[in-house]
Amino acid sequence: MPLRNTHPRPDSLAWVAGSDAPELHAVDIGFMALTDAASLIVAATQDFARPYGLTLNLHRQHSWAGLRDKLIEGELHAAHALYGLIYSVHLGIGGGATSDMAVLMGLAQNGQSINLSSELMAAGVTDPEALHRCVRHSGAKLTLAQTFPTGTHALWLYYWLAAHGIHPIDDVRTVVVPPSQMVAHLCAGRIDGFCAGEPWGAQAVNDGQGFTIATSQSIWPDHPEKVLGCTRAFVDRYPNTARALVMAVLEASRFIEQSEENRRSTAQLIAGRGYVDAPITAVEPRLLGRYEDGLGHAWLDSHALRLFGDGEVNMPYHSDGLWFMTQLRRWGLLREDPDYLAVAQRVQQTGLYRDAATALNIPVSDSTMRSATLMDGSHWDGSDPAGYARSFALHALAGTAPIHKP
Amino acid sequence: MLRVLLIDDTPRKVGRLRTALIEAGFDVIEESRLTIDLQERMETLRPDVVLIDTDSPGRDVMEQVVMVSRDQPRPIVMFTNDKDPELMRQAIRAGVSAYIVEGIQAQRLKPILDVAMARFESDQAIRAQLQARERQLVERKRIELAKGILMKMRSCSEKDAYTLMRRQAMSRQQKLIQVAEQIVAMNELLEN
Repeated sequence: MPLRNTHPRPDSLAWVAGSDAPELHAVDIGFMALTDAASLIVAATQDFARPYGLTLNLHRQHSWAGLRDKLIEGELHAAHALYGLIYSVHLGIGGGATSDMAVLMGLAQNGQSINLSSELMAAGVTDPEALHRCVRHSGAKLTLAQTFPTGTHALWLYYWLAAHGIHPIDDVRTVVVPPSQMVAHLCAGRIDGFCAGEPWGAQAVNDGQGFTIATSQSIWPDHPEKVLGCTRAFVDRYPNTARALVMAVLEASRFIEQSEENRRSTAQLIAGRGYVDAPITAVEPRLLGRYEDGLGHAWLDSHALRLFGDGEVNMPYHSDGLWFMTQLRRWGLLREDPDYLAVAQRVQQTGLYRDAATALNIPVSDSTMRSATLMDGSHWDGSDPAGYARSFALHALAGTAPIHKP
Repeated sequence: MLRVLLIDDTPRKVGRLRTALIEAGFDVIEESRLTIDLQERMETLRPDVVLIDTDSPGRDVMEQVVMVSRDQPRPIVMFTNDKDPELMRQAIRAGVSAYIVEGIQAQRLKPILDVAMARFESDQAIRAQLQARERQLVERKRIELAKGILMKMRSCSEKDAYTLMRRQAMSRQQKLIQVAEQIVAMNELLEN
């Protein structure tokens, strides 16, 4: 009988033998107090990573800028992140350091909202046309808050305003406020409105401080929202850990969407003090798709927040990354066109995601592009990002100012 | 400024390291001989680095090092005249981050301490990973046990038992392990 080497190997050397066991036993994950962090919170607390020998340690962050810095410095291995945050660090256009970044998977679609103050409501500014008139005719500029200078909420806010003929840079003032502090700022009259993830829009409505004028899904139904992000160095160094992490979060998202009962208990869990720390009455309804806008309208939203959607949410499409770059370019945050496709291919970890999803029998699209028609009728399919970035009537494109003849 | 606890365990006079350390910009707290209760002193002084100067690290020195690195881990650097490789191994096993034989020059102190601290941090990270692994194994057993109890009581499948436990945990804003512990405890209570 042939002798076989059956000595157990220390885990730290497992990769030498070609094992696919995670290189790490514990991973530090940052998140912000938002409903769309749900799959991370469920994965970490409900033991979804344990089958892979992985413990997920959650660390709540106070601001996106703080989360970004800890991610780059390595204090966090991975985090709940904004597309705009990951790409601005990768492209070196944020305030912080530049680092090669990676998007491991999508965590959520939809579920953000633009909300205005009860003062504006009292003044009759309750629809986009009235807002347009207000912006044009009132002397003082309105102050609208988003959550990160190059972040997703800035881009949703800009897109929505511009689609209604309001220039987001010339016509209003925008400021950065951490999502969980939006309602307090609105209440104190420091801002006239904000764009952020839930439950903060619902909370403003519940508190009578404001109303929801638009949901992000009304801008782009099933738009890409939060992602699981990390540095490129983390994926390169710990590929098995990264894959196991994606699998654990995929299983948690599948579990959440398995039944209404699971969604409800998810709402209970994440409303807790250690997580979103908000009343269940603010968290649960919109997680279940039940919206009230504070103006007397209530509806069941057909494109409410989703965390799984049979894997449709989670594939890190190249086109999703590309779209955010086109908007950074449109608003002059990117001074020139990057090599769009090369950047997206490097950042979006489609191969790793495909391996993880396939191992769990979750369907994966063959294409790395998806298409959509947005609220203003613009069609997006990822095929011509540079052209798309230039296709908008309102913009702040750098380097394309009309040449004035003397 | 980094605080160095300097322990002089040589019959020679104090001071072969003290001046050099101060020159290198460290805040030096000095103790002579290892007859002190190192653990207690660590707790009150909270140094960033422990430096032991000894002719030859004996059993009692090692003993103290083991206790300190177990309870209040800090980088420990040992300066000695003893070249015995076996002693060196023992010292490293006991928790010493750097073992320096002879020839201390003032200008070498800073890099030696820097390396010792970097080494210590990386050891701590590995230790944290191992502890996470151990905790996982313990928790896994408890969760398996609870799952088994639930499957028997509710005559349900493994998958259903997990779902039940998770829903319960989530509705109470708890971790799965907490609910598993409650099930195990309740079962013990009912069986006895």
